[in-house]
Amino acid sequence: MARAMAPPMTQRRKSIRRHLLIYAAITPYVVIAVFPIYWMAITAFKQDPDLYRMEHFPFWFNLAPTLRNFKILFYQTHYGDWIWNTFTISAWVALITLVTAVPAGYALARLKLPGAENTGIAIFLTYLVPPIILFLPLSRIVAELGLQDSWWALVVVYPTFTIPFCTWLLMGFFKTVPMEIEEAARVDGCGQAGAFLRVILPISLPGVLTSVIFAFTLSMQDFLYGLAFVSPGDQKPVPVGVPTELIRGDIYYWGSLMGAALLVGLPVAILYNFFLDRFIQGITGGIGK
Amino acid sequence: MTGSSLHGGPDPMARAAVVSVPARAALYVLLLVGAPFLFSLYLAVSDANVGEPIAHFVGLENFKAALEMDVFWISLRNSVVFLVVAAVLKSLLGTSLAFLLLQDFKGKKLIRGLVVIPFTLPIAISVLSWKWMYDSQFSVINWVLSRMGLIGQFGTEGWPIWLGDPKLALVACILVNVWRTFPFSAIVLLAGFTSVPVEVIDAAKVDGCSFFQRFRHVVVPMIFPILMIGFLFDTVFTLSDLSVVYLLTQGGPANATKILPVLAYQIGIQAGSLGRGAAIALFLVPLLIPALILVLRNLKRREY
Repeated sequence: MARAMAPPMTQRRKSIRRHLLIYAAITPYVVIAVFPIYWMAITAFKQDPDLYRMEHFPFWFNLAPTLRNFKILFYQTHYGDWIWNTFTISAWVALITLVTAVPAGYALARLKLPGAENTGIAIFLTYLVPPIILFLPLSRIVAELGLQDSWWALVVVYPTFTIPFCTWLLMGFFKTVPMEIEEAARVDGCGQAGAFLRVILPISLPGVLTSVIFAFTLSMQDFLYGLAFVSPGDQKPVPVGVPTELIRGDIYYWGSLMGAALLVGLPVAILYNFFLDRFIQGITGGIGK
Repeated sequence: MTGSSLHGGPDPMARAAVVSVPARAALYVLLLVGAPFLFSLYLAVSDANVGEPIAHFVGLENFKAALEMDVFWISLRNSVVFLVVAAVLKSLLGTSLAFLLLQDFKGKKLIRGLVVIPFTLPIAISVLSWKWMYDSQFSVINWVLSRMGLIGQFGTEGWPIWLGDPKLALVACILVNVWRTFPFSAIVLLAGFTSVPVEVIDAAKVDGCSFFQRFRHVVVPMIFPILMIGFLFDTVFTLSDLSVVYLLTQGGPANATKILPVLAYQIGIQAGSLGRGAAIALFLVPLLIPALILVLRNLKRREY
């Protein structure tokens, strides 16, 4: 009622002014955040001579855009292998993570185990032990297992950070499933395992999917393990292969480098974007729900 | 916690079967984090290196040797400078951004999505873009600065060579870290702000608190735990991250950007001196332990 009475023009003008102010204030942040990605993208599609002419306006094409940089990537480097490695590594890591973290998260959240809360916290805290402290001893373990110089080394090592994080995440998920549902399932004749598999797991599917996404995106954030454990050119995952194999001495193929970075980095960034709030909730213990 | 009184636990057999389940995850984590951690302590007191598989106990020799290296002290100093300067800058940027994102405006979701891209992009990949932007000759940053008349022409004294000049290289590396993590600071803060119930703020308003009083005495204490956790996570990741410096400068020029993780990697893997490298990496522990303890204390307060 009051809204209808108020003179619409001043209201609207006020709102527009407010919006303009906010946009003006937030634009620098957006530019700072996005520019390196824009720069990556435009470099990837530029012809080589276009990259090295300082007298031209660099933010747009001065010569026709080209796909040559991407052709080089796929025909003259191991880029295709790296993408394949990245996906197989992630799939294995996700599988190992789920097989351990789903039951563990459920058990810690639901069964009245002595010290469950503390065990959960202890598992999560191992997520905070940085790779830089673990990579030297792990390099010995990887060597003992005979996995050095193969991407299987990373399949073994990445769960050291995905399991702690996903167990913690799933604990939170399982706690939100109402107990009554589980009890109803039991009344209907399911055992504990049956209730879990037929009722709890399907309800918690979003949580399980979130864990898979994190197993993937957290693996993509690694650089150190890949750098330290996998040296053959065709065995690396993308985030390690691109910076270590495409840079040869002092010669930089910037177009291909940026293309390689963009093609994998952007989809990962977008995917992660959708799950960022979950990540924040996970590490802050769900305080900011 | 609803219905917990109803839940007495089913038959003891099934219970015993599932008790082993978290044990399995704990075991995996223990094997791959706990054991390596102990193993790293062992390495640090041995003369293990890549060439000779049999290591001897050398006591604190590796730690002593590290303390006697000039480059160790340079790295420690750089690590601390890196951490502190980056923390100040990202808090400033993060806080101001969080306040902006707290406002209601059209297209907020899109803008938020764009602003957090630096944090979600795999780090080794985004650093490459910066390496290109810091190029000694074709730096786009220099192009802009030079058109604005802030720096000289290429080839003159006034043309900054970001990664080649000892005075600028650390700044350049810090900027990349700040760029990557300021969205994280903002989002954590935002999560904190939105967790403060509006009623509490209103109550404080009714009681006659000014904006700053409300902020200082109501909002800050309420979001403190979440702030601490965000801060500590960032500390752990910033201190232990090697990819930014390794990919930009490898610690050069003349050790100007050498930080502890890079030193540990170079000595442990590249020079093959596992014991020495492990000892250097372990010097990060005293810096990290306070962070771990504080996170632990805050997590215990988790509500469901």
